[in-house]
This record gives sequence, C-alpha cells and structure tokens, in this order.
Amino acid sequence: MMARKILQSIFIASIGLPLAFLLLLSFGRRWPYPEIFPKELSLAAWGFLDNSNMISTFFLSLGISFSVALFVTLSAFFISKHIAYSKKRNTFMVLAYIPYLLSPVVMAVIFQYYFILVQLTGTTLGVIIAQFLIAFPFGVIIYLNFWNENLKSIEELSKTLGGNAFQTFVKVLYPLSKNAILLCFFQVFLISWFEYGLTNLIGSGKIKTLTVQVFNFVNEANIFYASFACCLLVIPPMLLMYLNKRFIFFAEKSE
Amino acid sequence: MPTPKLKNVSRFLFVAIVTVPVVSGMVYAALYSLGIIGILNTEISSKAWQTVFFGKPFWSAIGFSLYISVVSMAISLAVALLISIKWQKNLRDGLLGTAIYFPLCFPGTVMAFFSFQMLSKSGFVSRLGFNMGWIEDLRVFPSWIHDAYGIGIIFTSVLLITPFFIILFSNLFKTENIASFQHLAKTFGASNRQILWKVTLPILLKRASVTIYLFTIFIMGSYEVPLLLGRQDPQMISVAIIQKIQRFNLNDIPQGYAMSILYVLLILSVVILLFFRNKNFFKTSAV
Amino acid sequence: MKKIVSLFILCLAMLACGEKEKKEVRDTSKLSWEEIEQEAHGKTVTMIMWTGDSKINSYMKNYIVPKVKKELDINLEITNGQGSAIVQLLMTEMQANKEKSDVDMLWINGETFYQLRQIDGLFGPWTSTVPNSKYIDFENPFIGTDFQQPIAGYEMPWGNVQMALIYDSAKVENPPKTRAELLEFVKSKPGTFTFDNSFTGLTFLKALLIDIAGNKEELMGDFNEEKYEKYSAQLWDYIRELKPYLWRKGEVFPESVAQMHQLFASGELLFTMSNNDAEVDSKTAEGLFPPTAKAYVPDFGTIQNSHYLGITKLSGVKAAAMVVANTMVSFEAQLEKMKPSVWGDGTVLNMEKLSENERNQFENIPSRKQAPNRNEIQDKALMELAPEYMIRLSEDFRKEIILK
Repeated sequence: MMARKILQSIFIASIGLPLAFLLLLSFGRRWPYPEIFPKELSLAAWGFLDNSNMISTFFLSLGISFSVALFVTLSAFFISKHIAYSKKRNTFMVLAYIPYLLSPVVMAVIFQYYFILVQLTGTTLGVIIAQFLIAFPFGVIIYLNFWNENLKSIEELSKTLGGNAFQTFVKVLYPLSKNAILLCFFQVFLISWFEYGLTNLIGSGKIKTLTVQVFNFVNEANIFYASFACCLLVIPPMLLMYLNKRFIFFAEKSE
Repeated sequence: MPTPKLKNVSRFLFVAIVTVPVVSGMVYAALYSLGIIGILNTEISSKAWQTVFFGKPFWSAIGFSLYISVVSMAISLAVALLISIKWQKNLRDGLLGTAIYFPLCFPGTVMAFFSFQMLSKSGFVSRLGFNMGWIEDLRVFPSWIHDAYGIGIIFTSVLLITPFFIILFSNLFKTENIASFQHLAKTFGASNRQILWKVTLPILLKRASVTIYLFTIFIMGSYEVPLLLGRQDPQMISVAIIQKIQRFNLNDIPQGYAMSILYVLLILSVVILLFFRNKNFFKTSAV
Repeated sequence: MKKIVSLFILCLAMLACGEKEKKEVRDTSKLSWEEIEQEAHGKTVTMIMWTGDSKINSYMKNYIVPKVKKELDINLEITNGQGSAIVQLLMTEMQANKEKSDVDMLWINGETFYQLRQIDGLFGPWTSTVPNSKYIDFENPFIGTDFQQPIAGYEMPWGNVQMALIYDSAKVENPPKTRAELLEFVKSKPGTFTFDNSFTGLTFLKALLIDIAGNKEELMGDFNEEKYEKYSAQLWDYIRELKPYLWRKGEVFPESVAQMHQLFASGELLFTMSNNDAEVDSKTAEGLFPPTAKAYVPDFGTIQNSHYLGITKLSGVKAAAMVVANTMVSFEAQLEKMKPSVWGDGTVLNMEKLSENERNQFENIPSRKQAPNRNEIQDKALMELAPEYMIRLSEDFRKEIILK
C-alpha cells in the first residue's frame, strides 16, 4: 500500500516535470555543461511580455484558434446531424477520416497552390481556412456519436408538442449537447493552437503564431526563449483544463 | 424534421469540405509529379514516379514511420494498461485523477523540445550522470537524440499518447462495467491471472481497438517531433516529403509530390481496408 | 457523386487559369530616386531570411527595423526561410499567377541566386538606381561576383565574410592546418569533429574540393562535370576515411550551424566552424563560447563570399524594398553591422570611396580578439565555385556519406 502511494507520488511528480523544467529554463541565461541548473537566472525571456511583439503573437494565436474552434464547432454541429441520420452514415464517416488521418503538413504542401491562387497565403484568413479544413472532419467525428436514436425521438417529441426549430434547439438540443459542444470547441482550439507545419506553410512564415515562434527560437538555438514560448503555449490550455477536465478528453488528433 | 433541402445542402457541404482539399491537392500533386505543370518541368515524364516507386527513400521512410508508430504504441499501451488497471481506483478521483489530464496540454513541439533538453548528450540526464560520476565525459553518454533507432522520437511519442490511453482505459473500466465482469469471473473461480488475460485485457483492447489503429496512423504522419529529434537518415515520411520539396535540388520537387500522393493513397487504402473488414468499424470510434 | 465531379472540374479549371498570362509588373527602375522614396512611404516590406542566429536577428530587429521605420516610415517584417524553401515558394506563386508576392526582399547568395534567376523570380536590374550603391566595392571579385555569376544588378551586396574554423585553444594546442593533419587529428581525437548538413558544412566541403583539385584556378568558371566527378570522388574517399572518427561516427551530422555551435559550447565537439570569420568574437561575448575559443583559417584556405539582398519579381512594394536596401548598405548600417559585439559581418563598402572620417570609424571598430586578422587570411581566401558544385555536393553528400 505504501509502495503504491510512493509510486503514485513519483508518477504525479513526473507529470509536472516537463512544465517545471521548461519554467526553470525560461528563467535561465547561461547553462554550460555540466551544470545541472542554469548558472544565471534572468528575467530576460519573460521581459518579452513587455514587448508588444510577443503579446501580439499571443493574441494572434488566440484569435486564430478561437475563430477556427468557433467555426468548426458551429458548422460541424449542424452538418453532422444530417450525416448521422443518413443511411450512408458509414460511408460519410470514411470520407471524414481521410483528411483527419493525413499529416496536416502534407495536406498543406499539396493544397498550398490553391491558396496562393486565391491570394490567401500569408494571411490570417488563409491560416484560419486551412486549419478549418483539417479540423472540420474532426469536429464532425466528435458529434457523430452524440446524434443517436434517442436524441432523435426527443427532438421529434418536442416538435410534436408544438416547439419550433429555435425552441427545440434552445430548450432541448442545447442542454443535451452542451458537453459535446464544449468538448468539440476545446479540442479544435487545441489542434489549432498547437499546429505548426501547415500554419507555417500557408502563412508563408508571416503569420507568426506561438508555435511558429517556438520553432524560430529553437532554430536559432535560443533554448531560454524557446522555453519561455513553450510555457506561453502550454499554460493557457492547462488553465482551461483545470477549470473543466471534461473539455480535453476525446480521441483527439494529438501530434 | 429538417427540410430535405437543408439536409442535402448539409451533406453536400460536408462532402465538399472533406474531399475538395484532398482531391484538388492530389490533382495538383499528380500534375506536378508528371511534369505537366511546374515552372522547371519541361516535359511530361514518369521519371519522378519511377524514382520514388522503385527507389529506397520512400519505402524506407514509410517503414521507419511504421516502426516508430508501432513501437511507440506498444510501449504506451503496456504502460497505460498497467497503470489504469493497477491504479484504477485512484484514477477516478483525487490528485492522480486530475494530474493525468495535464500532459494532454503538451503539443508535440513542446514535448520534443523537452525531450531534446533532457536526453541529448549535453542534456539534463547527461549532466546528472556526469555529476553523479556515472559518466566521465559527455561523449560517452548514449545517443538518444538524432539516433538511428528513433529513440528520442519514440520517447516523445510515448509521453504524448500514454496519458491519453490511461484516461481512455480508466473510462472504459467504468462504462464497460469491467469490475462486475471481474467479479463474475471471480465467483466462477477464475484466478487473478486468468481474469486479467481472459477478461480485463480483451475487453479493454477490443473497445479501444479503433482508437489504437487511428493513433498508430497519426504517429506515422507526425512532423514536428521527427523534425526536431530525427536524423537525416532514416527519416519519417512527413519530414522526407517536405525535405524533397524544399531542399537544395529543385528537380527533386516532382518526386516530393509523387511521394505525397503515394502516402495519401496508402492512408486511403488502410482506411478503406479497415472499413470493409468491419462496416461498423468507425461507428464506435469516438469514445 | 455528380457534385463531386463538378467540383473536381472546377478545381481543374482554376488550375488551368493559373497557368495563363502573366501580369505586367510596374517598372520601378524608370522612376527617379525621389519618386521611389515617395512611393516607398508608409509601405510594409516583408523580408525573408535565414533566422538561425540570434545576433543577426537582433541586429535586424533592434537596429534596421526601427531605423527604416523612423527614417522612412516603412514597416519591415522579417520572416524565416532560406535556400530552396524560398525558391519553392516563389515558384509556386509564379505558377499560381499571384499578383503580389508574400515576400518582397530576400537575403540570398550563390545557389539560391542562381535558382531564382533560373525561374526568373528576381526583379532587376535595380542596384545602380540605389544611391548608396556608389560606395560599394563592385570591383572586388569576392563581392561583384556571386558563385562565379555576375550579379548584373539583380542583387545588392550586403556583407562579405570568410569561413573560419573555430576551436578551443585551452583544449587544442595546434589545430590542424592541412587535410593530412586534419585526418590525423580526427583519428587521434575521435568524435570531436564534424560539419553541419547545411550551408556551412557544404562550404567547408567546397574548400576541401578546391584543395584536392590542386590549385585555386582549377575549378573556376562554369560547372565542369568531368572535373567534378574526378575531384569529388577523391573528396568522398577522404570523407569516408574521416567518417568513423567524426562526431557520432559520421552517421549523423548536425542539422544546422546553430546546433553545431551548441555542441561546441557544451564541449561535445572540439571544433565548430562559421561562414563568418568574426563570429567567434560575438559568440564569445554572448557567453556561448568559452573565452579561450579561437578562429583560424587552415593552410588549404577557406571560401570567402558575399551575401546579398534581392527583390522578388512579384513584389508589390519594389520601391520600398529598394529604399530599405539603400539603408542597409548605408555607411551607418554597415558600420554597426561590422562591430563584433553586434554581428561582426564584413562590409561591402569600398574604403577608398568613403570620407576620411567614415574610414576612420571603420578602422576604429573594436579590434578582433579571437578572430584572425582579415588581412592575414585574405591570402587564403578561395573564390566560390559555380552553384552547381554546391547543389551536386549536397546531393552526393547525402548519397555517398549519409546513406552509406
């Protein structure tokens, strides 16, 4: 019993390790081998928060991810209903799984041309659309399990009792689907928040989201700034998750 | 009831959104790889296809990607099963139940960066080893990053997906009512070992099988992690494709597009294969 | 199904349209400089460059960007990209008949310049329109010629550097000076030497190739397949002999020079190298390299080359890009850039053409501490080879060394 407690404590500590380590590095300055911890601590990286660039990067990422999540959550909600109740549901499912399973960056190289054609590369809108295209099938997949026979009959009952479409949605569908909607929103938000390859390619490197910024710092071998950007990337979803852990759980397209 | 029109518009939109990008992308890639379009392409030729199809790089990249994903998946499943079965009660609530969700907030990029700082020859582990006197020089520290066996990539992938499977299994425990099956088996006199191998594991794995297949395919296509932790050879497929398209020799671009088509077709055939093996396969995929 | 087919056809139609006529580009070169400056006002210029060095990034971000904003009201945005990634982007843009490129200015040289000229992706000739170009030392073959190609007004020299090897003098007393000594050294200290898999490593390989060829003149001029085959075969023999003693047994090479610097800083490597002879000073000042780090040029010599600024043919703000380039080759910007504490990049200005005061300021730049004296290494400077040599070396290095 004791052993289990100890093991579990170690396990929990190891979950916190990456964040603790990145936080420590983000305050570091010189870290020559074989020092275990950085030799000097500095607020230089966090001083970036004063710098308007980093703030705008943060809000740009937030804006992009929020828009993508919103569009996907809404459109997938209504569209998935008609897919779920279709006789060809399974065939539709297979279609949805194809873009869902493909590597986003490979998708990006093959459709980059069309984005250039309609002058969308290097624009925030272009990045939002591209991310929407890879996240939409995922949104549909999340909702498909939610639309079932039971729900269908409740919805029909509401109509039979004289409720119009709007009332049915507000009074019946929404309360029942709140969790699925939140789940979809948060999951899509994360996909967008974490996306690098596709964002960098379609954004022509001009749309500097936080994840793109992490890569830039890693490229210039600036581990302290990279750690700092990593923290900025990880902490917001952690806070959200702390508020409600149901948000995060689903067969998500992680990495 | 929704009007038939709305229904059709929705279905049309759905099909358009999920197929147009892939299909139009494939058309572009096909035309490019055959030399029909492309500024530097002068003639129609199947040379790029021959090089890719009969050459080693594409297949070795696919093979290496498969190896990475299967090994990562096996390790993750083993760890996740162990933890979710052993600590089943603790996972439901308390600190452990909350903590286990946190790793899901880590994207591949960040986890890869973390692994690099931990495991490289001048990384944290090596520094610890040096200060403890386990190694005399950082050069004798084993190569875990940019190594031939993809250890760094596997380590990172395992970190990324194991927590997910722990949560998945512990949820299945509840929804599939495994405890009552276990109890039932016990009353029939099954040993703990038998319960584990004949009851618990089969139920969990069967219920999670779709997710397992899907994640195996995801890991195969991962890009950020092998980009940061992989080496020039062997390469994972996404990295190999991007490199062909963006590396020194412009005449290699058609090959890059040919590779991307083959990769898409490969994924496509796997999905269709899974579908035909069991038409209800995807129905239960969401957990 | 019908709908899918029609969508598909739509896509094909879009594709076909993209191939058609090219739009007329406005001819900025006919305007006077005043008109160009006027046109440049308030524009946003996107410059794509290699952003793998924090000092360089900081020079751009903290000196050039505010300078052009303040003096010219131009917003300069920096994005990351190099080599073929740039070429691929511009090529796809041209193919899609994009009206205005996402990218206006480029930091390029050598094989990227060659490839961009090949696809006709560069605007020009424009450099003679720019007032500050009259101070530039075009006569110098290391500046006026880029990888054996005349720059012909299509790119503006920005900096000039010579490759140097960097070592820690506290750990290595007599750094190898010749190919034979290098082999001997690497054998005696296995695992401590390597070169990167990118531009810097390839530039090192070129120096070895020239050494193998016997004299500096042998590989001058256009690409010669026969000579390449002959000498590169010997080069690969030499590298294969080194390979088992290289870092990680030559099974893997650092992906970038930044990564190689990190390995050197941590002591994993005894050597690193830089395309910039003065970089050792700035990296030491930064605290990355130990104070005992030193740079030198071996007897077989190293490549000296220049790097340039180009403007894309599809740029919508060519005038503004030219004005920015003018600032970047101005006396003040070049002086700042050459300070070892800033970047340490050699100037492309001709000292003879500057005023005495300006010349003095260049001469009074805090002297190099660990970097070799520029005049002393000039004798060992090798000209860049034709771009095809680099493209072939890169390909064959993968085939002959990495994949074997």
